Formats: sequence, C-alpha cells, structure tokens
Amino acid sequence: MILKEERLTQLLQKFPPERRQSLAVFQDIQQECGYLPKEHIIEAARYLKMPLAEAYAMVTFYRSFSLDPRGKYVIKVCDGTACHIKNVQGRLDCLKRILNLDPGETDKDGLFTVETVSCLGACAISPVMKVNDVYYGNLTEEKIYEILADLYRKEMMKA
Amino acid sequence: MNIVIDGKTCEARPGEYLWDTARRNGIDIPALCRHDALPGRGCCRLCIVENENAVGSRSVIVSCVFPVTEGLKIHTRSEKIIRFRRILLKLLIERAPQAEGVLLDYCREYGVAGNGELFNDNTNEKCILCNRCSRACQELGNSAIQVTQRGIDKIVASPFNEPSPDCIGCAACARVCPTGAIACTDTREQRTIWNKTFEMVKCAECGKPFATAEELEWMKPKILDFESNLAYCPRCRGRHVANSAMV
Repeated sequence: MILKEERLTQLLQKFPPERRQSLAVFQDIQQECGYLPKEHIIEAARYLKMPLAEAYAMVTFYRSFSLDPRGKYVIKVCDGTACHIKNVQGRLDCLKRILNLDPGETDKDGLFTVETVSCLGACAISPVMKVNDVYYGNLTEEKIYEILADLYRKEMMKA
Repeated sequence: MNIVIDGKTCEARPGEYLWDTARRNGIDIPALCRHDALPGRGCCRLCIVENENAVGSRSVIVSCVFPVTEGLKIHTRSEKIIRFRRILLKLLIERAPQAEGVLLDYCREYGVAGNGELFNDNTNEKCILCNRCSRACQELGNSAIQVTQRGIDKIVASPFNEPSPDCIGCAACARVCPTGAIACTDTREQRTIWNKTFEMVKCAECGKPFATAEELEWMKPKILDFESNLAYCPRCRGRHVANSAMV
C-alpha cells in the first residue's frame, strides 16, 4: 500500500529532518505500509537530508525491513537456537504444506508472508512463531493448522 | 616521541596511527582498506603487526587504526605475521579470485594463489568489500554508492541497483579500488560506470577528454575562475597557470 502524499508528509513531519531519525522514520513507514515502497524511501531520504545510497544501505541491512510488498498476515517463524533444536524446520515444512510458501515468500492473494527470524526472545515457549503482533508458542502441527484456520475463517467472514 | 619498528628507531607524532608512522619512516606495511586519501578502517586486516610489551610478550594489532604511544616496540615482518598475512590473503583471493591490482601484487609477493574453489561459488568475484569506493564517494560529497545488504549477500551498489541520481561519473571509486572491481569504460566520447553513461568534456587546448559534464557542473560553485580553470585538462591547466605566473 502506497501512502497518499499528505499522509507521508504528516508521517515524516513527526520527526525533525535529521539523519539520526532515519531508523524510526523507516520503521513508521513500514508499520503503515507493511513494507518500504521505493518512492517513500526516496522521499524520506530527501526529508532527512541523507544520501539515497545510505538510506538504501540501511533498509537493506536490517532484516525487519522489506522492500517488497508483504501479506496482510506476516508469519515470523523463530529459527533461533532454542527453536532450531526443537525442530522448527518441521513447523516450516508444515507451513509450506498448507500455504505453499517458503521463507521469504508472499502468496499471490497478498494474505500471508512467511519469514524466518533469528530469535523472537521467547525461548521458554519454543518453538515460537509470531503472526503480526501475536505470539504463538509451543507450536505443534495441529496448533499451526488451528491458527491458520482461524485466520482464514476471519477473512471469510469479512468477505 | 620515539618508537621502535623492526629494530629501527622511528620518530612518531602524537595522534598518528602506527601505519602512518611506519610509512613516513620508510617501512611499508601492506594494506588494502587504507588508501593515501582515506583513513584506515581495520577491515582488510593485512596491516597487522606484532606489538612487543615491556616483558617481551607479543600481541597482534591492526596498525592502520592503532594510535602510537611512547616506547612501542613493533615487529612488522615476524614469522607469525607473515603466516597470518598469507592466510588473510588466501581468504581474500579465494573470495575474489578475479581480483586485479594491489591485491594481486600482494598475493604474488607473499606467494599466495587462489581460484575460488575454497568457497565453491562466486568465481567471477573481484570485490573484497574493503569499502574504499564507498568511502571515497562519501568523502567527495556525493555518496552515490554504498555497501548494501548484509552478511554473505553484502555488495557495493547504487540505490536500488539503478543508475544513481547522485553519481557524477568522477570514477574516484574505480581509481581507489585495490582489486579493479569497479567496471568503468571510457571512450573518447563517453564514460560508463555504475550503469550510467556520461558525456566526456574535452580539453580546450589538447582535445583530450578529461572529465564528465556532471563532474564539472558539480565543481563549478566550488572553484574560482571556473571558466579559465576548468576548460583545460590538468596538464594544460598547469601550463596555463605557469605561463600566466611568468608574465
């Protein structure tokens, strides 16, 4: 989703036009759009008075930024040490079976994106995944089916 | 302030880095991320040397970012350092087997060769990610290129891998590159670099192409007597200045 010009200006003007604000600005844009559209990066870099190459270097460095549109539900599967040894790969295979998505991919309806992250900081309930802002711990295949079924149901109701 | 490098007493200036002290005193330490126009960054690690303390034990330090202090005792070519440098060069040349330039010279000097088989991929790579190019671009005030991505995907690129609006085609990046990794094609009429093509401006006297139009445009507000100074290539300009001084 690309923001209207006024909305972007409004968003940018929450911050002083200084380079040190860049991370916060990009985070806000990503929060609003779900990803970082190219034209917004260019506009933000201009506003923050930083070279575009440096803005681009920054947004490609941090894994939490995405330059491609992402789904409505971003599923972040933890692949940290604890989750890894608790067979997170099995859960990823399960997601692949249901959604036919490999990590990093978005389905063609723009509904789901599957990503792996290095640690969600909730090792006590590993294996963990996060759907947008909700954490799901102690994952089993049944649980994943349930979670996804719930999300599908919610979408169906709306439609 | 005096320090001892390879048994030779050298005069060091306060605030100076060890690499510069050695260089000024005629001792060359190999370096790839350090360039005469750019400060060291400590990322190529080739400039490592051994620092011997008062009781005779030695530690390995990175000379291009090591500030000198009174009474240092440094060994730049000990057996251990040579061994380490060979390992570092081996890793660099295996990462960038197609590298040319300074890196290749060092490899020959230290008897190291590589063809990329160690890492099994990117056998066409030339770049060792020393950041010289991006820092040169930054220092000149354009910042048209940067090191993008992270980890094993790290690569020097222009924004969105498209021709950068900030690039003036000065080719400073290609000139400081120690491995010849930046493709810059010059013809009499045009220069192509970072997927962008520039028109060359020719010297009013000898007709040799010496700069891009964008480069001169960028220099315009920064230079006095722009018209008389930047119509000529550096060589003819020198002659003009000399002539006018004689009169």
